Amino acid sequence: MTCQEVQLNLSLYLYGELDFAQEEAFERHLEGCALCERALNREKEWHAAAYAERQDVSFELLSECRRSLRTALRSGRSPELRTSWWARFIPTGFSATRWSVQIAAASFLVFAGFTAARWMDNGRLAPGSGSGFARMGLLDMSNAHVREIEPAGQNGVRIIIDRVQQQEVTGNLDDDTVRQWVLAAMQDPSDPGIRVNSVEILQHQSGPDVRDALINTAKTDSNAAVRIKALEGLRQFAADAATRRAVEFVLKHDNNADVRAEAIDILVPADRPAPAMTPDVLTTLQDILNSEQENDYVRARSLQVLRAMNISGPVY
Amino acid sequence: MHGSADRSNETALIRAAQGGDAEAFEQLVRSYDQSVLRMALNLLHSPEDARDIYQEAFLRVYKKLPQFRFDCAFSTWLYRIVANLCLDQIRKRKVRKEEAAAVTTPSGEMDRFQFLPEQRADVDPQRQLMSSEVSERINAVLDKLTPRERLVFEMRHYQGMRLRAIGESLGVTEEAAKNCLFRATQKMRAALGDFL
Repeated sequence: MTCQEVQLNLSLYLYGELDFAQEEAFERHLEGCALCERALNREKEWHAAAYAERQDVSFELLSECRRSLRTALRSGRSPELRTSWWARFIPTGFSATRWSVQIAAASFLVFAGFTAARWMDNGRLAPGSGSGFARMGLLDMSNAHVREIEPAGQNGVRIIIDRVQQQEVTGNLDDDTVRQWVLAAMQDPSDPGIRVNSVEILQHQSGPDVRDALINTAKTDSNAAVRIKALEGLRQFAADAATRRAVEFVLKHDNNADVRAEAIDILVPADRPAPAMTPDVLTTLQDILNSEQENDYVRARSLQVLRAMNISGPVY
Repeated sequence: MHGSADRSNETALIRAAQGGDAEAFEQLVRSYDQSVLRMALNLLHSPEDARDIYQEAFLRVYKKLPQFRFDCAFSTWLYRIVANLCLDQIRKRKVRKEEAAAVTTPSGEMDRFQFLPEQRADVDPQRQLMSSEVSERINAVLDKLTPRERLVFEMRHYQGMRLRAIGESLGVTEEAAKNCLFRATQKMRAALGDFL
């Protein structure tokens, strides 16, 4: 990559939008070019300054929006919506008048009040002492997030809190729980780094659960580096029919040339004779040869495979 | 979906909501509504407009959900609706006349500047001046971007969406979204690169 190319791609690099090969070339250039390194630092600075301008949503605005939406949905703009959990307890065909519903709701509230009072009398939660939240540990907001807050009656409030609890799990990959955690981490949409690490950890593990998870990642992960890692992990399952079908799918549909190059190497290892190919794969290989957009390596490998199988491909 | 539930869980929620389950629909809304609202707020700089976009977007989602056939990710479909609403709103504003300096309040007409928040006295004035100049310049450049460049920049820089998803949401190719982002970042760099 030249200095000009690097400087044109500074933002795309910071956004992680360069493909694998471009990113490699970008970083190789940067290692030996102080000018481009300075340009990258300036780019980072304006990115950060622009990010600082981001407006965040206040809970008041969010709650207000949610309330208005709920009201709009319930007010006949959406007649097909079941209005609440309450409606589920009303048998089909039951035609409740407004009053009968209100009386039923009031009875429920009285019942709930008595039940809550009995519960508190038993000493499980001291009412009105001001210590209820503290006793429940709710005042520690470091691992909590208020999802919703809204007025509830006179001087009352209804708060919905999501709590996040950190937990460390250490163990062997043979342990079912540990294995499930790693498999779940492979699906974490928020962090491609975690997904790559999880795939690397599972790469040398066998079993249908690992194979299926790797197949899923190779086909669907949004990050090309993660998809390549998953394909590397699938090499050990290359003889398996489900794996071959998945890799064929990747070769046909993935929009990243490096991922397709990895896929073709799995389907047809360069150092071994080509195994039997399905007509679909052969068609895909011929399509690759016809495509002007295709990466040179993928085209060369396709031609090599087709020639080895005595199938004529177009000369390019 | 943003970390809290996996794709299969989201599919189950969508199917339940398509079947009329109000709770499932509410959960679906809550998975995305903060980022929808943030996007509208960042693009339009008006809580009132952001609230309108929020309401209209989710009402449209509700209305059209039975026709959603999983041809694309739910998020792509949702952001397509939000993006179109925001683009319409930005375009409407572009053709409107400049806002008047005066605003009407219940107690009569008052100067708009009376409503601006007061500066905090305990902040270093020089630093504050610099920071407010940077802020002004950033907002000035953002305002000069075309509506589509503004939207793509918002989706990539602030919402962290991938270019492929942005392209799908806007009904254009990933390459077109990339070009749009490229133009936006060029303009930002030209205006801010040497200023910082």
